[in-house]
Amino acid sequence: MEPRPPTAPAAGRQPGPGAGDGARAVFLPSTVDPTVFDEAFLRSLERLLVLLKKPVRGGLKGTRRSTKRGLSVEFADYRDYSLGDDLRTLDWNVYARLERLFVKLFIEEEDVTVTLLIDASASMSHGAPGKLLFAKRAAAALGYIALASEDRVVVAALAGRVARRRASLRGSGRALRLLAELSAIEAAPGPTDLQAAVRHAGAQLAGRGVVILLSDLLDPAADRAIRELAGTGSEVVVLHVLAPDEIRPDLEGDLRLVDAETGGSVEVTLDLAARERYMERVEAWRTGLADLAARRRVSYVPVESDLPLADLVFAELRRRRVVG
Amino acid sequence: MPFVAPLALLGLVFVPLVVAFWMLRLRRTDRVVSSTLLWKRFGEDREANVPWQRLRRSLLLLLQLLLVLVLAFLAARPFLERPASLARELVIVVDASASMAATDVAPSRIEAAKAAALDALRDLPSGGRVSVVEAAAVSRVVANRTADLGRVREAIAGIRAAPVASDLADALRIASGLASAAGDSEVLVATDAAVDIPAGLAVKAPVRVLPTGRERHNQAIVALAVRSSSTSVTRSVFVSIANLDIEPATERVEIRGDGRLLEARDLFLDPVTRAEVSIDDVPRDVAVVEVRLAGSDQLACDDRAWAVVPPDRLLRILLVSAGDPYLETALSYLPNAELYGVAPADYGPGTKPELFDLIIFDGNLPAELPRVPTLAIAPPRTSVLGSVTGTLTDPAVGRAAADEPLLRYVDLTTLHVAQAVQLTLPDWARTVIPGPGGYPLLYSGERDGLRMAVLAFEPRRSDLPLQVAFPILVSNLVGELVGASQAPSGSVTPGSLVSLPVPSTATGLRVTRPDGSVVEITPAVTGGAAATFAATEELGVYTVVPVGLPGPTPAPSASPGATPSASPGATPSASPTTPPLVDPSAPSRFAVNLFDMGESAIAPGDPAKIEAVGTAPAGSGEPGAADGTHRPPARDELWVPIVLVALALLVAEWLVFERDGLVRIRRWLASRRGQGGGPSRPAPVPRPPERT
Repeated sequence: MEPRPPTAPAAGRQPGPGAGDGARAVFLPSTVDPTVFDEAFLRSLERLLVLLKKPVRGGLKGTRRSTKRGLSVEFADYRDYSLGDDLRTLDWNVYARLERLFVKLFIEEEDVTVTLLIDASASMSHGAPGKLLFAKRAAAALGYIALASEDRVVVAALAGRVARRRASLRGSGRALRLLAELSAIEAAPGPTDLQAAVRHAGAQLAGRGVVILLSDLLDPAADRAIRELAGTGSEVVVLHVLAPDEIRPDLEGDLRLVDAETGGSVEVTLDLAARERYMERVEAWRTGLADLAARRRVSYVPVESDLPLADLVFAELRRRRVVG
Repeated sequence: MPFVAPLALLGLVFVPLVVAFWMLRLRRTDRVVSSTLLWKRFGEDREANVPWQRLRRSLLLLLQLLLVLVLAFLAARPFLERPASLARELVIVVDASASMAATDVAPSRIEAAKAAALDALRDLPSGGRVSVVEAAAVSRVVANRTADLGRVREAIAGIRAAPVASDLADALRIASGLASAAGDSEVLVATDAAVDIPAGLAVKAPVRVLPTGRERHNQAIVALAVRSSSTSVTRSVFVSIANLDIEPATERVEIRGDGRLLEARDLFLDPVTRAEVSIDDVPRDVAVVEVRLAGSDQLACDDRAWAVVPPDRLLRILLVSAGDPYLETALSYLPNAELYGVAPADYGPGTKPELFDLIIFDGNLPAELPRVPTLAIAPPRTSVLGSVTGTLTDPAVGRAAADEPLLRYVDLTTLHVAQAVQLTLPDWARTVIPGPGGYPLLYSGERDGLRMAVLAFEPRRSDLPLQVAFPILVSNLVGELVGASQAPSGSVTPGSLVSLPVPSTATGLRVTRPDGSVVEITPAVTGGAAATFAATEELGVYTVVPVGLPGPTPAPSASPGATPSASPGATPSASPTTPPLVDPSAPSRFAVNLFDMGESAIAPGDPAKIEAVGTAPAGSGEPGAADGTHRPPARDELWVPIVLVALALLVAEWLVFERDGLVRIRRWLASRRGQGGGPSRPAPVPRPPERT
């Protein structure tokens, strides 16, 4: 089935004055935040769809083939007939040759659920460009691809110790709803326990699917959160979003750094050598997370919040086989 | 290690102060970040509500502590001791004569001598006292027995070589007086030793010479004179140039008149010889002649000389006589002279004698002599010019001194005098023509600042007017008497005193030196006819202007008893009248030149001759006075290396403080070299390895 872009009705329209700078497009519902999903973003989403036309048929590479054997057209295996089996599954050709009854097993195709877990902690609202904004747009792109593949998309915001499930959507026609749900996500004040929130999200998962965590992982228990997700049995993708000024800080002098979430502070004296040591530490931290993810068969994608969306989808996610 | 100021080590209290500053907490700027997770181990220990923090290891702190230590050490002035090689009472004599300006040692002998003297001070024992004597034309003590080496260095640094001949013997006598006051004393003489030491000179202390000077390459102008030609239209310049080197030399001589180049000649000078140069046809309007040697020898002050051309104004001579045709004729032949005549009976205040340059009383003498140069011929009575004791009949003419300037070119061997006045030689005069019995026939001298001469016989009562010597003698007499009333036309030796005539209506003189500075002088007594000028250390032309004149000189009123006689053949019977206008405020000049072969001969002398005048002092009772065995040690303060260390620490502290900027500059330069000059960009953070 050829997916239809959700913004197709607007395809022939010219953007009005101010389009792309935050002005609300006339076709968008009021629940979609134009500052997050502006017209420029939507146009890039359209282009994404056109470019992904073929790959979208594959959709997100989740566990599409169920381990359960069921009714489908794709042969999987044989087994001996047992009483009660559906006679329609008997392979009469084999019976003619071997005079034994075998039942053909077919791969049962399951309905894949793509869960987008967006870290809505206070730290996500910092950095330039904003990490939460980037996460929403990346989630919109991934969710849109999933909807186009007729997969179920679940959006949940992680804040505090819980995962607030926003919506469960299916079908490409729910794309605007997806955008609206993403628009409604705001950074929560106060500290966030990422591990607890992820555990809560894992408890809400219905069956196996694809779980995509979009977070800056600036939490002491980030590694345990990844382990929690890996333990759900789903295909887990971690989109590690950091702002460029978090990787290469432009700080200098005698400073008191105040944590946006906890309010705690650290006094530092920053010079060139200290900044270089910090960057080395960030790199080691990301490498450690990548090693952990590799051990847990989790796809770890480190990105910077100034990465263009097309580069994210075509370069990063495809290179790491997150997108088929 | 001993210290000069050990109390300065109290500056070490700044060490805990610096440490305390480092323990104080800084006032930091708050900056909200997304998380402090990754900054945890960068932060310092933090204790709430505590104003200090744990001391951290820091290279800056270490450098600052070292700097405080070094500065305290420096303020305490550590020193090392060593045996002193100089006496406790040191007298330094610095030769400041003209030859010390020679440049055969860089930058000059005087500077090298001063440096040697300063360097010698390092061997002065602790607490030693130093005197400094500047040996110039007049030696003087510029530092007197002081233990303040700063003052000594300042005094030595202030000594300059003057273009004069120094009297080193006089300086050594002064040094001897200073040294003899102490037991342990020594005299150091910084000189080129190009001086003569008089025999018998003894210094009551050991003398050691700090020699300077190596070579003798010098040519000098040793004489310069300007003479008028017989026509009085042009002048001739006579220059004498000496090559004092042992090598031949070629020099270019430039003669300038009032700054204009009149002539230039190249001279080849044999070793140690003199060459004479005369240049005629110097224009009449030239007032100052300057001669320069354009070569490059090692002493500059004798390469220039100046001569002032005598003023060419008319001399006014008043002859008070009943009539002597011989004398009138001889006077009328004098160039640039106007002869006026008056009968003795008509002479009086109305004649205005002060307006004449010379008055000749022939056979008569007024009761009151005028204040102008005077020649008295056969004075009839006793006066201040001499006592008349009788009459000499047919006196014999004695042999005159050969170097008598008045008798230059005058032959008196055939002179016969019929009758002469018997005069007693006054104490202010010298005999020019001796007569019988010690009674002079002609004498001359200076009295009250005025030149006077007395001729004991009337020319017509001798055969002198019939001889060639007569007009020459008259010319010499007039030149002697009139020339003394003006500023010196010959050269003046630097540093010597000059007697300058003061016009009767002036209160003093304003002398402008060659460097433009002005000195005002007044006569020693009120109304004196001359003032003494002493500031002649500088070579060049000095200009003298009378001051205090009562406005422009009024034209002399017509005198009923005086009639001008412009014709050379004027007779005393002619009615004298007002002489021509004279401007007493007109400036006069004189020149100061070295013209000293002794100073121009810059070949270094033998220091042993000077050291030989030193003697070890007799025992003065002080222990170790003579051999110096009990001298305090000399001190070498170590401030130079300590200052260098402090500077190095300061630089290191700055480099550490600004290390970020240095790293940026280094990276920028590296990027310029590597990329051909693009702007530097931060190195991209490598991405983690791809995991699937």
